[in-house]
Amino acid sequence: MTATLETTVLSTVDTAVELAGVRKVFGHGNSAVVALDGVDLKVKPGEFVCLLGASGCGKSTLLNIVAGLDGATSGELQLNTSRPAVMFQEPALMPWLTAARNVELALRFAGVGRLARKRRALELLKLVRLGDVADKRPHELSGGMRQRVALARALASTTVSPDGAPALLLMDEPFAALDAITRDVLQSELLRVWETTNTAIIFVTHDVREAVRLGQRVVLLSSRPGRVVREWDVTDSKNNTDTVDEINTHLREVISGHAS
Amino acid sequence: MATPPDTLDKVGAGLDALDVPAEAHKPPIWRRFLKTGVPPIIAFALLLGVWQALWASALLPEFQLPAPVDVWNEIVRSVSTGEAFSILWTSLHRAVFGFIAAVLIATPLGLLIAKVRVVRAAIGSLLTGLQSLPSVAWVPAAILWFGVTPSTIYFVVLMGSVPSIANGLVAGIDQIPPLLPRVGRALGAGRLASARHILLPAALPGYLAGLKQGWAFSWRSLMAAEIIATSPQLGTGLGQYLHNGSSLNDINMVIAAIFLILLVGIGIELLLFRPLERAVLRARGLTGAL
Repeated sequence: MTATLETTVLSTVDTAVELAGVRKVFGHGNSAVVALDGVDLKVKPGEFVCLLGASGCGKSTLLNIVAGLDGATSGELQLNTSRPAVMFQEPALMPWLTAARNVELALRFAGVGRLARKRRALELLKLVRLGDVADKRPHELSGGMRQRVALARALASTTVSPDGAPALLLMDEPFAALDAITRDVLQSELLRVWETTNTAIIFVTHDVREAVRLGQRVVLLSSRPGRVVREWDVTDSKNNTDTVDEINTHLREVISGHAS
Repeated sequence: MATPPDTLDKVGAGLDALDVPAEAHKPPIWRRFLKTGVPPIIAFALLLGVWQALWASALLPEFQLPAPVDVWNEIVRSVSTGEAFSILWTSLHRAVFGFIAAVLIATPLGLLIAKVRVVRAAIGSLLTGLQSLPSVAWVPAAILWFGVTPSTIYFVVLMGSVPSIANGLVAGIDQIPPLLPRVGRALGAGRLASARHILLPAALPGYLAGLKQGWAFSWRSLMAAEIIATSPQLGTGLGQYLHNGSSLNDINMVIAAIFLILLVGIGIELLLFRPLERAVLRARGLTGAL
């Protein structure tokens, strides 16, 4: 159990997620909308990838497909990970359960025994620095704290795999509804958690600065239909405002292309 | 732009400290009693006062409007002879059995209606319609089908309470935020696990409201059935007692019966459903109505 918290998950495969020519069409006939059109994407185990795009670029659709909540119309998806965990913009905690119980619920669905559940849930809550409020219910917590409980729950569900398959965390604008200071704190919290757990993360956002700060790689998607436009390796340009500006320019181009 | 991480950690710890809610302290018990117990007592005293004044004015003859003290004496008499307990027991155990049976029937029915589209289309509106049909309307039919037997009484009770309970459960399930079952699916919950750990607990407030209403309906249906379907083999419940009072032109008995019926209704609400509902809502932070 505890091994998943250490940074030594050895893996024989070098891709955690592989999407090849993924296409998604909603509706039929004349009213059909192409949300994704031939998306290719590779994510390595333990890699932090940010998907960037304006509204309508199918970011959330892409995430749902990887999560298995939605099926692709055509194309291939290959996962070499444990069950991917999803975090949404809202924490979506069960309001009748305490923070600890919410985390335990994920473990229960994964078939973990009672005692191990309790121990692991507390461990994960401590990881997101919420060990003290394990017995509080969601309505007694602030928005940022709730989102951290949701993070602990997501980690619980994806790092549970017994065969040590690399974990995968899918995040759909998880900090968009938070105030600026809380968002700032949570971003650094997420980076810390990512470094300690060696989880691959696909992080969807429309905020270029957030993408550059968090990700190792930023992938820009076009809108309607969504395609991969460009990628940037931003591992070494964390404090480089030029990179932010450059990505911003491209994002604006993608959006203004729809002005006509 | 880059803030050193340990500074941010401090900011985070500060935010958490600010965000931890203050412990709400409970007011002392006498103050809570003053707030919630005294107003209804005053209202009841006022009612008694008006009643006493009306009686004293002698606008209505004694056989229509008795003195409060005469009704009180009738209640004391029936309690001291033990009659009141046997009457209450007869009615209450019927109501409780009927209610439990209604819960057992209505819960799977409500689940079916809420989750199976065809079933909802077929009988969803019928069930809502049944709620507006006074269950006393079933008494004549039930007497023809079952005779004047306990079956008649239970049938009427069930027809009164099953629709309320089932509809409450359906409403509870309909009002679940769609994100919760989605999260369940993302966490790997199967259909059964999702129903047990997400749908049912999430629907609990609506279900509880349905149960509460179902109890009220089964109690009043029972009274209606007992008043109309009277026979020696059924024993004397509150309804029969009321019926007897009317037959004997004994207004004291009639009013005493009405008070006892009310007493049971209010008692079950205060002792059972109110605390249950309060506990469930408080756990979810829905304290607005309390």
